[in-house]
Amino acid sequence: MSLTALDDIAVHSGTTEPIQGVVRIETSPLEETAPMFMEKMRSVYPHEEVFGKYCTVNDYVDCPPDELFEYLAHTRSLEEWTYTLRDFTPTDESGLWLAYDRLLPDTKIYTRTVANPEARTVDYHCAWDQGEHLWMIYLMRVLDAQVVLGKPGSVVLWTNCRHEFYDNNPHPEAAPPERTGWVGDFWDLFGAGHGLELNNLKSIAEYRHRNGLPVTPAWMSTS
Amino acid sequence: MNQPTVSLIDVSSYLPGEPVGADYYAQFAGSDDLAANLMFRAPKFRHHVGPDETAIDMVERAAHGLIERHGQDVIANVDVLITHTQAPDVPFYGAGGGIAHRLGMRPNWVLDLHNGGCAAFVLGLNVARQLLASGSGHTALIAVAQNAAGQVFDQPGVRRKAQAAVPGDGAAVGLVTLSDQSPILDIECRTYGEYAGEMTLTSDAPRKWWAAGSSELSIGFTETNITKVLARGNRQVPEVALAVCDRIGLLSKNIDLLVTNQPNRVFLRNWREALEVPPERHRDTFDECGNLFGAGIPINLDHAIADGQVKPGDVVMMAAFAHAGDFAGAAAVRWGGRS
Repeated sequence: MSLTALDDIAVHSGTTEPIQGVVRIETSPLEETAPMFMEKMRSVYPHEEVFGKYCTVNDYVDCPPDELFEYLAHTRSLEEWTYTLRDFTPTDESGLWLAYDRLLPDTKIYTRTVANPEARTVDYHCAWDQGEHLWMIYLMRVLDAQVVLGKPGSVVLWTNCRHEFYDNNPHPEAAPPERTGWVGDFWDLFGAGHGLELNNLKSIAEYRHRNGLPVTPAWMSTS
Repeated sequence: MNQPTVSLIDVSSYLPGEPVGADYYAQFAGSDDLAANLMFRAPKFRHHVGPDETAIDMVERAAHGLIERHGQDVIANVDVLITHTQAPDVPFYGAGGGIAHRLGMRPNWVLDLHNGGCAAFVLGLNVARQLLASGSGHTALIAVAQNAAGQVFDQPGVRRKAQAAVPGDGAAVGLVTLSDQSPILDIECRTYGEYAGEMTLTSDAPRKWWAAGSSELSIGFTETNITKVLARGNRQVPEVALAVCDRIGLLSKNIDLLVTNQPNRVFLRNWREALEVPPERHRDTFDECGNLFGAGIPINLDHAIADGQVKPGDVVMMAAFAHAGDFAGAAAVRWGGRS
């Protein structure tokens, strides 16, 4: 018996009617669906809809993708292109870095970078105040712009997901005593803030590439 | 030296005949792939130009209000006449000469503007303001006639199409003078030539509009070009309105009355949202008049003035885009009231 799409669900549900939420052209022809698409096309979109649960920023960077990936894969690149992360030092735990997030006073941030050169994904697993549970995940992917845009360079995709801890600090005891704010207080600025940082990344990488400098500077390669 | 102030001091309008209900189209409705398309979701009513009514007739009727309020002399002494007719009665020339004659004017300037489309009134204001400010006269009349609904869209074959139920006919005139009574605060007009020509006339047996043939000509709409036009309109109208807001130092949410063209309900919603203007400050007559094309702005402004929706001192923002997105314009006026 040859299997076809969604057969298992048809068998399970006992009907070929689509299950709720599934819209496919076989049961919803384009002339019925197009009006729904068009109704969803607006001049502006509410901030909550765009940045409420997930925060995604993307941009083109005129720098070869493998070089940009290599740079991003160094945790200490964050020292350069982020707005506020500074003074990275290695911890006793291999691969775990301690830095300070100057967004608020005396705020430690721990980072472990998980990079996959084949997919050119760089995931920064971070947390404020403590390094036990790294729940702030910055998911980045470097694409070859030749493939996706038909021109040399890179495209950087960057998404954060709104973990529940952004709204409730799970380790208040780890916070510096004088600090009143929390990283999640800034969630609604992430779109603008990450946009600025992505532009920093773009500006730095493009400068180095344009001027023949190594995209990853020597100090970063030596630990 | 400062440029002299130019004002839009009044508008008046005309809707031909009795309202035509949606059931008029229901009886003809054919099977149209675009029937469900929300770009063509029909208004309850619209008006149709009479069988032998010309654009000149419509403008003459639209001008009654101005003549009543300002006297025949004001019209007779117009220095600049600017006209726009959606479907010219004779395609080789515009209606300007005939309108001037019918209204008893001998203007120094007569201009028929065909590129303004649904933003024709804004384009007319821009031209009038420039001409008056540069010394070409004291008074300008802008006349817009939309006459396609009862003609092009009411052909026996075309009226079966989804697109036919949306347009409505009407005409309006605006009186512009050198004065500070109801000042034009600023105007932005942009041409997007790359989209020119994307609004096409089609027929079952393709031919030029002037060539012999029995097939009816209609506007060539497809799902894909509708999507592009929707995206352009969504972008262009807020852009030109915000450009004007920026220059006159006005937050768009403080626009007292927004008057746009009204191609369909989705555009009306999207433009309000983009400019943060609530529905009660965005005048539309979509359900009574349908898509009035270039006549929409001045007709809606006339209605808003007549029923007190706009008051002296209010800032009125007019904004629209044309055709498939080849032109867009916005104009802000501090309304001076009808004296």
